[in-house]
Amino acid sequence: MSRFGAKKGRKLPGAEFSWETGEGGGENDTAPTPLFPKYHVPRARPLTPHEQIQVDQYRSLRERFHDGPYYSVLDSATSSAKKESAARAHFDPFHGMPSYSGKYQKKMRTVPKLVGREYVMKFFPKELWQTIQPSFKPDAAMDGYVLRIDRPGIRRGFEDDEDEEDDEAGKKGKTGEEGEAENEDDEREILDPEEEEEEIMDDDFEDDDDDMGGDYNAEQYFDGGDDEYGDDGLGDGGGGGGDEDTY
Amino acid sequence: MASQYAAELCALLVEDNFGELFARIFSILQRYDRLSFPRLRFYSRLSDRQLRHGLAAMIQQHLIYHYTSYDEGVTYYEPNPQAAYYLVRSGKILAFIQDRLGKYAATVMSTIMYLGHAQISHLETLPELRSGRSEADGISDDLEGEEAEEQVNGHNVDGPIEQPALLHPTLKALASHGYLIRVRDAQFQSYADNALDAERAIKSRPDVKQMKGKRLEETVLDGTLAMLREKLDGDLTRGLMHNGLPRGAKRRPGSGSADKSARMDYDMEDEAEEENEWSDDDMGGDTTPMESGIVVRVNYEKLDVALRNRRFLDLAEVHASPATAQVYECLLRRIEYQTKQCRDSVEIPREGEEGEQYSVAIALSAVTEEVDSQLDLAGSIGPMEIQQPVSKRGKRALDEDGVNGTSHQDSDAPSRTYEIDQHLSLLSQPPYNLTSKRVVSGLITWTVEFRHLARKLRHLELERVIEARYGDVALRVIRVLHAKGKLDEKRLQEISLLPFKDLRQVLASMQSGGFVDLQEVPRDAQRQPSRTIYLWFYDPDRIRNSILEDTYKAMSRCMQRLRFERSRLKEFLEKTERSDVKGNEERYLSPAELTLLGQWRSKEALLLGEITRLDEMVAVMRDY
Repeated sequence: MSRFGAKKGRKLPGAEFSWETGEGGGENDTAPTPLFPKYHVPRARPLTPHEQIQVDQYRSLRERFHDGPYYSVLDSATSSAKKESAARAHFDPFHGMPSYSGKYQKKMRTVPKLVGREYVMKFFPKELWQTIQPSFKPDAAMDGYVLRIDRPGIRRGFEDDEDEEDDEAGKKGKTGEEGEAENEDDEREILDPEEEEEEIMDDDFEDDDDDMGGDYNAEQYFDGGDDEYGDDGLGDGGGGGGDEDTY
Repeated sequence: MASQYAAELCALLVEDNFGELFARIFSILQRYDRLSFPRLRFYSRLSDRQLRHGLAAMIQQHLIYHYTSYDEGVTYYEPNPQAAYYLVRSGKILAFIQDRLGKYAATVMSTIMYLGHAQISHLETLPELRSGRSEADGISDDLEGEEAEEQVNGHNVDGPIEQPALLHPTLKALASHGYLIRVRDAQFQSYADNALDAERAIKSRPDVKQMKGKRLEETVLDGTLAMLREKLDGDLTRGLMHNGLPRGAKRRPGSGSADKSARMDYDMEDEAEEENEWSDDDMGGDTTPMESGIVVRVNYEKLDVALRNRRFLDLAEVHASPATAQVYECLLRRIEYQTKQCRDSVEIPREGEEGEQYSVAIALSAVTEEVDSQLDLAGSIGPMEIQQPVSKRGKRALDEDGVNGTSHQDSDAPSRTYEIDQHLSLLSQPPYNLTSKRVVSGLITWTVEFRHLARKLRHLELERVIEARYGDVALRVIRVLHAKGKLDEKRLQEISLLPFKDLRQVLASMQSGGFVDLQEVPRDAQRQPSRTIYLWFYDPDRIRNSILEDTYKAMSRCMQRLRFERSRLKEFLEKTERSDVKGNEERYLSPAELTLLGQWRSKEALLLGEITRLDEMVAVMRDY
């Protein structure tokens, strides 16, 4: 104590009190640690009726979100994924195989579906307008006000529209076409799983296509994946299928 | 709220509600804060298409801000953690709306939440809002609003013509309460961006350009604030309120107004509404639908005000009689109509630096009007003959009923006002001072001192935590420290009347928990321990912040637990979500599976309920 300059024999203030914390906070530093110390596990009170209502409301809203068009997961691995790709490695051989009851299984989207409702375009940044409304032409004069998005189903069948789109596709270049391709993908997503698998193969192929620049596609030899649902005038003719899906 | 656990929690909430894609984008944005599209794509490693669609959908849900700079034309994206956090409060808000405005209003509200923001015209087309009522009827809830709705159904079953008539009054009711606001462009940019924009605009004005120095600063500041207010303002209550009352405000049966002559026409309307809440078809001005071009969204700020009032009411209910609480509710409701947000500043000011902020004053007569005329006011306060404010809260006059009844039968109206005044002054007593009285030019008005009460709520919450963790001795020490400021051990021991041993134990454990701390005040330059004064202190601000962090953490742990539990039962839960099984659980699932499903549901409810409770704490600590 003398090194602090205090008087000899006098203790530091408070030294007569021990720092033992008793049952509340554990043991002395020197004491061995007990193997299984008593541990009080706090238990949550059961929910009151009022809280139950709140929880139910939360759950029902969440369920709506889940069933809604925006809920999307990152990657659902399927057996049709490209070989030696990461998606293939994550494939679950026990539960992932397609089975009969799979057709009732909830489909997971990997991309939020934007079509099918109205958007107020002025609330979105300009670079996303084409995503939200595939028929939007960046060059055309637009006042940016409430735009109604046609459902693809409605648009189909009007010759004029399609012609216009053809022109558009010519003009717009890459991004525009992408928008259209998206449109179809979205549409197909609500279809049965077979279709979905094809979809994924298409995707894989397209990447390659971009890289190699060739237009022969063995995987699409029998059907281009758009025979049944994708007849929109873009896909007519041999090269059409590939053309339409080019990113 | 850029802290680690808050960010984690927000990402988890987004994932829980919208799935992994949104969560990925959101957490990347939270980590890097402000990114242009190419950078975002680089960091998130998502495909172009996923990212574009994801971003668009997230903007629709108000989960991210975007900002396109004028100079470069580059669009930047930023996370909106507030919006993400409010996802957790959705259940509470919907339950509140259901309580206040009936089930249909809750359905409308949840639809708007589901859509992010929506045009009125779009809401009109939605099937769930049309057929929503017949479904709602199927679910038998013994709610007041329900009965009214059933009544409507009984009257005219030829649905489709009558349904929009239900939607518009409901929307109007929600809007006039302030629970819905109009969406403005500026709401999609973060506050900082808006402020900078406004500042730039003000500075470029020719008259401002000539100013200099302090005057310039002041003008810019004022102009910016005014401009921001104008740009962000989505208030829909104007024009929808009549006589300071929002439409569709539910009134208890038989609530006749005292001054009929003054507001005769409105009374007519009110009475009609009492008969049947939503049938406004024959009311001249009321059937005009909301303008179909308006885009609406949920106004969380206002809902916070409403929820805070609910919280005050709970406090009053614990400490006063039911009649008093009801009077208080009426006062709070009147105040709520005119309160836009919980406080003016964004952050909660530091303890002690917070100025008092009174709510709008409500005239006593208005409160009297609001209070149910059937309510027995006299029964719960002492006899009226003794003209003094009742000192003890909740003091009941059990045997005075007869006396009261006879003495006040003849002159009912003035005594009622007086009684309500008595109830309110009962509430204004310490320790909570739930109300305070003001006399403005001869008129008695009542206000609520919100900042004081919000602080009180915070302290109560902290004390509750401390008591639960360290026991009642600790609570006493904390209260002493809070009341007296910094104390050395000796004084503390004298005041708190505790043996030294207990005191030190409790102080030590609280210090290790971070609830109290020690300050050294050396008496000489050498800082010798023997010549140093040690002062214990308790800093509510610091504790509040750390508790807030802990709460975020606890919430995110609950969410993670929930996710884990779900992954354990993944196969089974996927089965229950199959399109053929869903809705026909009894038919397709075995008894064992049914019990498992029940167990899962209750487990999930418990965890979600716990999150809701923690959210209540967050609200007290952060929002109120």
